[in-house]
Amino acid sequence: MKSSYAYYPGCLASLSQKELDTSTRAIADKLGMTLVDIPGFTCCGAGDVHEARPEYYLHLNARILGQAEQLGQDTLMTICNVCTLNLRQANAKLQADPELLQRVNRNLKEVGAASYSGGVDVRHLLWEIAEGDGYEKLKQIAEKPLTGIKIAPFYGCQILRPSRLLGFEDPDRPQSLERIIEACGAEPVDYPSKIKCCGFPIVLARAEVALGELIQPLAEAKEAGADAMVTPCPLCHLSLDAWQSKASREADMEFDLPIFHLAQLVGAAAGLSYDELQFKRHVVKAYPVTDKIYQGV
Amino acid sequence: MVRHDVVVVGAGLAGMRAAIEASRYGVDVGVVSKLHPTRSHSGAAEGGINAALGNAGEDDPQKHTFFTVKGSDYLGDQDAIAVMCEEGPGDIYELEHMGAIFSRTDDGRIAQRPFGAGGAPRTCYAADITGHVLLHVLYEQLVKSGVTVYEEWFALDLVTDGERCVGVTAWDLVRGGVQGVEASAVIMATGGLGRMYRGTTNAYACTGDGMSMAWRAGVPLKDMEFMQFHPTTLKSNGVLITEGARGEGGYLRNSEGDRFMFNYAPNAGELASRDVVSRSEQTEIDEGRGVDGCVLLDLTHLGAKRINERLHGSRELAMDYAGVDPIEEPIPVRPGSHYHMGGIDTDVWGHTLMPGLYAAGECACVSVHGANRLGGNSLLETVVFGRRTGAAAAQDVRRNGSGGVFSPSAAAIAERSIGRMLDKNDGERPHVLRQELADAMYDNAGIFRSAEGLEACKAKVEELRERYDRGVVVQDKGRDFNTDLIQAIELGSMLEMADCLVTGAIARTESRGAHSRLDYPERDDEAWLRHTLAFYDEGQVRLDYRPVTITEYEPAVRSY
Amino acid sequence: MQVTLKIERYNPESDESRQETFSVDVVEEATLLDVLDVIKDEVDGSLTYRKSCRMAVCGSCGMRMDGAAVLACKTPMRPLVEAGEVPVISPMGNLPVLKDLVVDMEPFWAKFRAIKPYLDDGGEEPPVKEWRVQQEELDRVMTEALCIQCGCCVSECNSMEADPDFLGPAALAKAARFVNDVRDRGGKSRLEIYNGPHGVWDCTRCYFCNQRCPKGVHPRDAIAKVGAAIYQEGMHSDGGARHAKVFVKSTHQTGYLLETHLVPETVGPVNAIKEIPFALRLARAGKVPNPLKPHKAKKLDEVRKLNKLIESQEQATLEAANAGPTRPPADPAQAKESE
Repeated sequence: MKSSYAYYPGCLASLSQKELDTSTRAIADKLGMTLVDIPGFTCCGAGDVHEARPEYYLHLNARILGQAEQLGQDTLMTICNVCTLNLRQANAKLQADPELLQRVNRNLKEVGAASYSGGVDVRHLLWEIAEGDGYEKLKQIAEKPLTGIKIAPFYGCQILRPSRLLGFEDPDRPQSLERIIEACGAEPVDYPSKIKCCGFPIVLARAEVALGELIQPLAEAKEAGADAMVTPCPLCHLSLDAWQSKASREADMEFDLPIFHLAQLVGAAAGLSYDELQFKRHVVKAYPVTDKIYQGV
Repeated sequence: MVRHDVVVVGAGLAGMRAAIEASRYGVDVGVVSKLHPTRSHSGAAEGGINAALGNAGEDDPQKHTFFTVKGSDYLGDQDAIAVMCEEGPGDIYELEHMGAIFSRTDDGRIAQRPFGAGGAPRTCYAADITGHVLLHVLYEQLVKSGVTVYEEWFALDLVTDGERCVGVTAWDLVRGGVQGVEASAVIMATGGLGRMYRGTTNAYACTGDGMSMAWRAGVPLKDMEFMQFHPTTLKSNGVLITEGARGEGGYLRNSEGDRFMFNYAPNAGELASRDVVSRSEQTEIDEGRGVDGCVLLDLTHLGAKRINERLHGSRELAMDYAGVDPIEEPIPVRPGSHYHMGGIDTDVWGHTLMPGLYAAGECACVSVHGANRLGGNSLLETVVFGRRTGAAAAQDVRRNGSGGVFSPSAAAIAERSIGRMLDKNDGERPHVLRQELADAMYDNAGIFRSAEGLEACKAKVEELRERYDRGVVVQDKGRDFNTDLIQAIELGSMLEMADCLVTGAIARTESRGAHSRLDYPERDDEAWLRHTLAFYDEGQVRLDYRPVTITEYEPAVRSY
Repeated sequence: MQVTLKIERYNPESDESRQETFSVDVVEEATLLDVLDVIKDEVDGSLTYRKSCRMAVCGSCGMRMDGAAVLACKTPMRPLVEAGEVPVISPMGNLPVLKDLVVDMEPFWAKFRAIKPYLDDGGEEPPVKEWRVQQEELDRVMTEALCIQCGCCVSECNSMEADPDFLGPAALAKAARFVNDVRDRGGKSRLEIYNGPHGVWDCTRCYFCNQRCPKGVHPRDAIAKVGAAIYQEGMHSDGGARHAKVFVKSTHQTGYLLETHLVPETVGPVNAIKEIPFALRLARAGKVPNPLKPHKAKKLDEVRKLNKLIESQEQATLEAANAGPTRPPADPAQAKESE
């Protein structure tokens, strides 16, 4: 874990998933991480710009990395799976090909943007607190263990695959979320679909297909006895939370599973309140579980 | 029971090229293959395909012809070789127009590199996955042509009506059961038989089934004793490292670090003819200058960039199957059985002596390779003669109409025979015989042969044939997808073909090309400038001979 | 060394499924395929699987090991033995099982055939010799051309699980091989094949295909290339393309994604109206940002200029690609053209 990071919240955490940004800043404080805001940051392009306009995607991300570099930071921290893959993939390409980096920088210079020299590493918050001194710090701050709460981890796709670009852990047998859940005093619940796709990228353009995917982790987590789920990605969170009722209808099953952002899980274990972690912003009400946490009900 | 004008058995490069060509003549074509077409062994070819395009310097088909004739140790039929070398360029351009992704020169033409004993850079290539690229482009064209493909149908026997070939029987692997496949013309394109040897580059599927079918139906097999050993195969599983690695500048070293090839081939060095290189390597190994039974293929001086661009496939193979990164270390290699020069006797249009039966590709022997094949000429042969054979079969059908009478009992007879195989419960498992055959062939019918060893091998093969005829045990009794049954049938093909090979080898008391006799080390043109023909004679091998067609080049001393 | 495997077997004649454990002795360098061969030869001849080249080029031996598709011939057993693991071997996913580890590949080949898997020469007379094509141009399709059609990518495809008619990563990677081949003149009509309801926009971007591919084809990246071609040709009829358009427009206008625009622009105004109750539920939780006060990034002009600059560069690339292949200078057809 570093003492300071260039902080990249991404688009969703800045707006519709604001609770994620709020919670992240709150726990960063507890963890002793300084988050340095990137003044001119933009969207990373998500999967859509990455696909439709690959050159533009590359430049958008080079610009973000350049800005982080300008702030004197050697590590940029993300809190979203998609941002993580997008930034890391662009970074890998630029770092591996000096000619490409030169060409991109020429374009950036032409529009007056900061250039990038390849000196930034991109890390998701999940990785920073799942091992090493970050994990030790996490254990230290988890003063209010979430005893008796069963949490099903949902990794989502782009924090695991393709592993040659992410490479933090075994993409087929990840354990980082389980370790964090345990450090927070809760009980991790295992189920097969925890590494599969929530369907978010096509939840609008191919609603039926996306729901067919989304049902799996929800149903399996429920059947495995989970009280709630946790995910490191705000897009997965939107699927699991905001789309839960649609999935419920499609599956003809009640799920009633509150979905925690990773930062909220950590925040709750660190003693932050329901309001500080903005739990009320969830579509699937968190209070059956948060009541247990905050009132020992 | 299905019926087509032309039926092609085998869907590798030669089979698919034949099918595509035949369909262009407007005849109805069906393809029978025991594998899905893109699983065919053509896909494993790596280094390239020869043609006198002249893209890497002055070249012409006559030069290509000469080096091929010399490479064949003068056993190749020179008229056939001339046809292949003349028509080669046109076939390469056609493959490119179909979409084949050849590597390019700086000005966008098809790149060519040197290959063993070619004399000039004449080998067109697609990185080091040429076979894969060509196999897939032909499959694309096959799909485009709309030809019917019966995949995972294992052809069992040729059906004849006493005068001509009228089709084949085939076992439908997926659904189980014998199918009759009636045709006015049958083209055999079933590939080679390397699996009869221990230590082969060949896929499991290369078991000589088509040759066996033709032989049993009375069609002679030509030059069966000539088996090529590829110099650079991996010890663990026989996998091929392309000659292209040497074409790109790789060295062969012995345990003392010497580039020993210059002792055997002062001019060509590592790029001498394959038989010469294999014998040299084996000699180094036998004389104690090997490393763990291998010599070392050193690519380290080529650099990471060149290796990743041109030899990416080879690097992967070396890492996966030899645990070695060729950028850092040399690859231990040794000779392995690779290509069979012999096969079903055909003319330059793929006709066999039996009306209605044709053959092309490795299972055929035209002969364009004689006693030893040049690297890059096999892929060429498949497209040139695949095309010519497809055209010939289609034109014959259009001219002569439908063939003879397909006996309604043919399928039933085959069905009963399979039933007997499945019913047997006591006896040997096929793999026992398969291993004994592979060991015997490697030990006694390999790179260096002698009368003593060959006779022992013949005795062993005859013993194995007897044991096989008594019945092997197929444990899988089911009719659905019974690969245990297929493997048992394939063993039968290999035993018969081994008999033809060894019998021919015993009789040929000279050394020529890949056939190297320790007891007859010289080439003897007076007695042996002739093709061996192996006929089926009540289950035994009867030999006969036929002269070689010499047009331009009188046999000369062959040195590199 | 001794290897123990659990194998999911299926016998079609009795319609029986069961898991069987086998333990056999093999050489140190043995691959999973070698182990299966020893089991078949020495223990149970009815164990059924496909194989041919044993060198990862024919694509026959795809199967799952602990739920993840691999090529049996490319999977060394020693690391598993050393780790004391007993893997479960099962047939590939998303395809019907015929027997034991053999799946019915016909649906796979049907999708292959459906994408027009051959070069479209546009009916043009080819040159006498080869088309002049630069190595860099062909390098654009070399990655997809590595594909051996093994099915490992299809086995774990999350979209295909939810939509069995999805063309899938193997077929679409093959499509990319033609879309980006300068000699292919298929143009927009070819792209339309991949623009349908079960085409590129069906891909959920789970990246399982990239993860599983044993040959480095990166099928997801290939699907993206086809998506890019469709998008940049202005073919925006599908909701998937319109979804992408929102991202591009929003980042241009504000630097961020304008989530409120996503729904109506992707699913169209009629469907958007149907989603009003859903949207209200989100709004109650505070999830709908104020559409009238869009959040804008600082230094936005940099981003807008960047977009325009890159767009012009992309157009140039597209035009060059669409121009088609070059004839050799001395080609008779070239001479005819310039007459």
